[in-house]
Amino acid sequence: MTSTLPKEAGPAGQTVAARIKDTVLNEFSWIWGGTVILFILCTFIAPGVVRPAAISSMLPFAAILAITAVGMTVVIQQRGLDMSLPGTMTIAGLLFAKIGFMTGSTLLAVPLTLAIAVCIGIVNGLLVAKVNITPIVVTLATNAILMGAVRAVSGGSPMTAPAELAAFSHGKLLGVPMTLILAVGFIIVISVVTKRTIAGRRFVAVGANPAAATAAGIPILRYQVATYAIAALCFAVAGMLFTGFIGSASQTAGVDFLLPAIAAVVVGGTPFSGGRGSVIASGVAALFMAQLGQMVLALGASTAIQLLVQALAIIIAVAVRHLPALFGYMRR
Amino acid sequence: MTGQRLLLEMHGVSKHFPGVRALHDITFDVRAGEVHGLVGENGAGKSTLMGVASGALVATTGEVRIDGTPASGEPDRARELGLAIVRQEPALMPDLSVAENLYLGLPHGRRPALSGLNDWARRLLNHWSSDVTIDPRDHITTLNAEQRFIVEIVKALECEPKVLVLDEPTEHLATEDVERLFARVRQVTARGAAVVYISHRIREVQAIADRLTVLRDGEGQGTFQARELSEDQIVSLIVGGDLDRTFPEKAAPGEHPVVLSTDGFSGPGFTDVSLQVRAGEILGLAGIDANGQREFMRALAGITRGRGAVTLGGKGVEIRSSQASKRLGISYLPGDRHREGIFPELSVRENFGIRSLGDQSTAGFVSARAESRRTREAIAQFAVKTPHGETPIQSLSGGNQQKVVLSSVLAGNPRVLLVDEPTQGVDVGARAEIYRVIREAARSGVAVILVSSDQQEVAGLSDHVAIFSRGRVVDMLSGDRVTEDNITSSVLKSTGQRDKHHRAVGSFWKWAAGNAAPLVMVASAILLLGTVAGLWNPFYVSPRSLSNMMMLAATLALVAYGQQFLMLVSGIDLSVGPTMGLLQVVGSFFLLKDTGLGTQALGWALIMGVSVVVGVVNWALVVGLRLHPMVATLATFMAIQAVSLILRPVPGGMIDSQIMLALGTKVGIVPVTFIVAVVLALVMEYVLYRGALGLAMRGLGSREDSARTAGIVPGRTRLIGYVGCSVFAGLASITMIAQVGIGDPRAGLGYTLGSIAAVVIGGASLFGGRGSFIGALLGAIFITQVNSVTVFLRLSQEWQQYLLGGLILASVALYSKSREKVVQA
Repeated sequence: MTSTLPKEAGPAGQTVAARIKDTVLNEFSWIWGGTVILFILCTFIAPGVVRPAAISSMLPFAAILAITAVGMTVVIQQRGLDMSLPGTMTIAGLLFAKIGFMTGSTLLAVPLTLAIAVCIGIVNGLLVAKVNITPIVVTLATNAILMGAVRAVSGGSPMTAPAELAAFSHGKLLGVPMTLILAVGFIIVISVVTKRTIAGRRFVAVGANPAAATAAGIPILRYQVATYAIAALCFAVAGMLFTGFIGSASQTAGVDFLLPAIAAVVVGGTPFSGGRGSVIASGVAALFMAQLGQMVLALGASTAIQLLVQALAIIIAVAVRHLPALFGYMRR
Repeated sequence: MTGQRLLLEMHGVSKHFPGVRALHDITFDVRAGEVHGLVGENGAGKSTLMGVASGALVATTGEVRIDGTPASGEPDRARELGLAIVRQEPALMPDLSVAENLYLGLPHGRRPALSGLNDWARRLLNHWSSDVTIDPRDHITTLNAEQRFIVEIVKALECEPKVLVLDEPTEHLATEDVERLFARVRQVTARGAAVVYISHRIREVQAIADRLTVLRDGEGQGTFQARELSEDQIVSLIVGGDLDRTFPEKAAPGEHPVVLSTDGFSGPGFTDVSLQVRAGEILGLAGIDANGQREFMRALAGITRGRGAVTLGGKGVEIRSSQASKRLGISYLPGDRHREGIFPELSVRENFGIRSLGDQSTAGFVSARAESRRTREAIAQFAVKTPHGETPIQSLSGGNQQKVVLSSVLAGNPRVLLVDEPTQGVDVGARAEIYRVIREAARSGVAVILVSSDQQEVAGLSDHVAIFSRGRVVDMLSGDRVTEDNITSSVLKSTGQRDKHHRAVGSFWKWAAGNAAPLVMVASAILLLGTVAGLWNPFYVSPRSLSNMMMLAATLALVAYGQQFLMLVSGIDLSVGPTMGLLQVVGSFFLLKDTGLGTQALGWALIMGVSVVVGVVNWALVVGLRLHPMVATLATFMAIQAVSLILRPVPGGMIDSQIMLALGTKVGIVPVTFIVAVVLALVMEYVLYRGALGLAMRGLGSREDSARTAGIVPGRTRLIGYVGCSVFAGLASITMIAQVGIGDPRAGLGYTLGSIAAVVIGGASLFGGRGSFIGALLGAIFITQVNSVTVFLRLSQEWQQYLLGGLILASVALYSKSREKVVQA
């Protein structure tokens, strides 16, 4: 991202190497290495999971997980946590199917569903930022309410997904799954916005130090509320895609995404201390976690072992980031 | 007086902070039976010197002896040797009561029995003054600065120290309390102990001190008999005979247009301020801390709200927010750099650009090229010492951090520049740079307002100076009259005594913020809901229904106790649900019909043993590997669930019916498990408020550094928290056996959220320090009730969740609101 030319280096930039080291070798770069190693490892111990067919069946799940992880990343950058992911994701799938059938128009259902999701996010954000309730408590409560709404909307039985959505979720463009294209789109847009726009810079500043952001004249409430709205938007898109992918809007669609989404953010390297974060790393981590799961299953292990391996991945991923500090300390 | 015992000796003490020399070769001693005044301006090194004496700071070079014994730079050691310090910012634990803070503040040998704590504390407070307004049961959060300070002094006096250090003791005290303090100080010296009295109020020091030592810029200016010096002589010693700092030339005389003026401007901490500042000039605001000058500036910056007329460039404006202030062209350099100035983890580049993003962007997009050019220019122009623009700002020295923030504030091309303590924590070399930058900004036509507690700085920089006292402007100096001596005497001689003030808090809010309020509110809600449901459908209050509910509530309550126990030390355990499942699965291999007593006993032992192991693992991840508690217990959540699924891929292992029967025993309609849960709640509540362990846990959760000073070991106390949490989950899993009856790995999953909801409804704080086991019990009963009431009220099932979510939000919003209301700033 720092495309500094050597001639631009100037007096403060004589250590271009150090800059590159800081930019390339930071806490968010571990996951790239880890993912590459994982895929290489797969070709040796489980060649089946790196065949094109296996990869293209894993990618849509990884993509949907990546979209949820993107939403979770922005919340964690604001020192929060959004436990309403299951409710938002599930209700979005259901509402989409319901509105789609009622109006007969997918084109209408998409914006309506997204608008509702944004409203959910705004409520979360206001409760956190304005009423001053701990994020985890707010979102646990709104999740309960949303799960109630899920039951009311679905009437207790799954709904078939509209055909267009199913077609979209399974669709490919030039051989690349549509879900993946959408996920990459999300990651690029949010990454560019946070790193390269005025609004994004302010967003990062509010996460890093809200008091300093206020003193610098940034309207922090607006950014804190928008954070939860963006997260809800991500969860809703993931919910719709998942509904299309499995062909029906179930009442539990989002439940299995909460822990993996948080896990992906943690493995990607976004710290809980606020400010810093990388949606790209979270997206790659989603791919890593999905592929890791596939590999473990292909080795003949049960889903239980898969879960255990993912838990270990979280612990190792966090612990490994202490290593540079440790080495630096020993060098001194 | 010579030949007396020396209670505190400091020889050749120097202290260096990164980039700053705070103390240089100070030699200082305190005799038995004397009051030794320590005077100097802000930043002269008084507090740093006493920090070294008390062991809070370690000297770079030099030696400290307390009563002849070398002190090794540890607060505990200094305290044992008999040194007590009363700091400007009292080191109290905010969620603990006054009595508990007094208790923990004493060395172990001096602590009274916990049973009569409040009476003991009341005696101590009455000893200070018979009309004291502090209730020993009050939480520290609800006290104002003056009351907190009194608690701190009472605590220090009760230690009967050999050396008592008072750091600016009268800043927060009303006149009558100052007299009380003096009387107490004389008692201390009468019994042969010594008092170090730090203050910048010279008259006070003259009134109380036998000898005094003057510090200036970290260097000793000598020790004198207090009576031998006049006030003016002391002032000149404090200020220094010669001006050893260079300031840039002041504004040329002439009529400059007024940029900003206020008329009858009032706000929190200042009243009826009418000032004007002209283009190209620097207006200095001086006064003793907290007399309104900083508060006035913060209102102009839009951080607090002021009332009254503000005119900018001839037009009346209203400053509703910091954003509005910024938009009007008012830029603010905050005084508290760490809290409000820097974004510590972000790079120099990001810190620099944040206040002027518009200047390096097109159509909302930041141009990497423009940004990197501007950052490089700023680094060069302000001579910021940093490897490069991508370095995190927190790794720079204080002076360089300040230069980055100042450059960032100026980069927005403000019309008005507000500067608060521009050189605090900045070394002498960087100071001159900063002065030059501020003056150059003024010369370019910016109107500058400066607040500084360093009189020399105000005098050297300002064209006009307004003196603040008690929130009002009491004097105005201009032109030749702007000298340090004039400012210092005007500030120091102003009778800066304050009146007692107490913010009125509605009695409802005070009650709602207390420990009892959640209990009363949740209990009433339970009764209300029960009555309504019972009237609607009599089956609801049938013995069978009630006893079922109590059974379920007991399990939820037990696991909620665990969550509550851990939350006291600001932890959280997401893994309790899977842990319950695992323990039940473990039991399902041993607690079978034909296995015999030996195997069954082994099963019970394993359940408890495994729960302890889970707690230790969670603790090791959080304390050892320093994982965030949520991340750590999320990982164990997944791992434990995996182990359960490996042990029992599908539910299996019918539990012995004898055991089931025993666990389901009832007394009348009340299940034994429920009785156990209630008894445990009462016992734990007693331990929480009357036990040393409860006090230690609440103290640690409330404020770690103060708890450490009080001798609480954080690691060990947290271990008790994590293991305790898992053991309670173990007890809950045993009661769950009676409901499930089979080894089901998924049986416990819902209890993670359930336990958090129960303690939150019961009034616990996720930040630690406060909570209630009775609250957790009531929360658990309430949740169980809500879950079952929908059936009896013939509400559709979704209402269960609506009610749960809505009630959590409503209760927490109320608690949060009430605590905000009573907290004194």
